[in-house]
Formats: sequence, C-alpha cells, structure tokens
Amino acid sequence: MAIRIQLDRILVERRMSLTELADRVGVTLANLSILKTGKARAVRFSTLDAMCRELDCQPGDILVWEPGPQAGED
Amino acid sequence: MALPTLPPLGLRAPRTLGPGSVSSLLKIALDVAYLILLLITGVLVLAFVAAIFLPLTGPLAGQTYIEGSGDAAREVPVTRTLILFGLGATAAYFGGFLMILRDLRAIFRTLIQGDPFQPGNVRRLRQIGLTLTVVTLGVATVQMLVPAIPNARLSELLTPLFAVMVVFVLAEVFKEGARLRSDAELTV
Repeated sequence: MAIRIQLDRILVERRMSLTELADRVGVTLANLSILKTGKARAVRFSTLDAMCRELDCQPGDILVWEPGPQAGED
Repeated sequence: MALPTLPPLGLRAPRTLGPGSVSSLLKIALDVAYLILLLITGVLVLAFVAAIFLPLTGPLAGQTYIEGSGDAAREVPVTRTLILFGLGATAAYFGGFLMILRDLRAIFRTLIQGDPFQPGNVRRLRQIGLTLTVVTLGVATVQMLVPAIPNARLSELLTPLFAVMVVFVLAEVFKEGARLRSDAELTV
C-alpha cells in the first residue's frame, strides 16, 4: 500500500493506548484497528481532524506516502 | 428570488417491510409462487418417474394425435417416449422458474436483513439471467423440434430476451453496489 499509517509510533510517544484514542476520537476500536493495520480504504477528514487534535500532531505525522502499488488494489 | 415550494403530497415512502409495504406484498407473492411451483414441479417429476415404470394403460392407451397441418397432417400414436418428453420438458420449464424463485427469495432475505448489496446477490442475479436464457432458448428449441407446437414468433422471443438483459444489467449494478458498500465499510 502506498499510504502507510504510523499510529503505533505516535501512540507510544504519547503513551496512549488504542482504546483510549478510540474513545477520545469517537470511533470504534474495530474501526481504529482497521486504520492501524492498513486495511482502511479511506479516512474521513473529521476522523483525521479528531486524531490530530487528540494526538497533538499533523496529518503528515500519521500518514506517510511510500512508493508502491496503489491503495485498494487487492 | 426564492422558488415556490410544493405542498407536501401526504405520501410516505414505502418502508422495506411492514404491513402494507411494497416489500411485504412482494414477499407474500414470492412465497406463494414458490410453493405453487414447488408443488407443480414435484407432481411433474413424480409423473415422469411413474411414466418410466408404469405400463401405458388407461385413457392414454391407444390414443393418437394429429401432427402437422393441411396435406402434411398425419395421425401419430401417443407413445411412452412422447409422454416422457412432454413431462420432462414441462418439468424442466417449471424447474427453471423454481430455481429463479429460489434465488429471488434468497435475494429478498438479504434485503430484509438490510444488506442486499453483496457479492452473493451478484452471483444470484447472474444465475437468474442464465436460467432465463436457458428456459427461453429451451422453449424455442422444443417449439422447433415438435411439429405439433407452432413455432415461436420473433416477438415472443424478444420479451424474455429483454428480461435477460435487464437482469444482467441489474447484476452489474449490484456488483458496483457491493464495491461501494465494502468501500464504505472500510472508511474510518
């Protein structure tokens, strides 16, 4: 996948669990897991907004582009 | 300038299920048609099996029918082969519709569960289209093979072929629907 999610690193830096982030952002743990494991096809701006707010970071800290096959080609 | 707003029509959109809704009427129609076809096909298959083993007696024994018309008309005796062919072809005809109804009921179940856009329904719709094609072509072939039955006119073939096209287009629409649904499911 060309877009990689690096939630793990930021969560460790902020000493926050995935469950806590899910609670704060207002999405289910299952959905956040889909995002973390790179299975997500799209992210809503509202989710990204809430994640950046709660993690005090920029979208670029969460999403990283890498050369590779396009997302969603499965 | 603001456009004038239309007064409310006082109509409500039909609910998926519930008393008086389009869906519940359809469900009843599907269930009734399925039961009737199941009965007819069952009786025909039983008659087919009976015709293989039982001796040709009773009102059918020694009967004849007129084949062809005009100068070419001739009297042909009713044979066991003829009866088996007739029963088999009719059973296959109703069996085809039974298969279609089984698929339609399965599609309807997914609708009631609130999840009709799934790959399984794409497969079912394609199967319905294929069954309709086979039944239509089968009927046309029988009409050509058996001189006692008048051949199908082009207009009689066009209607079912149009239905086949509609079903295949719907299958493609459902395929896209299934893709959109899986996209929505994986949107965080």
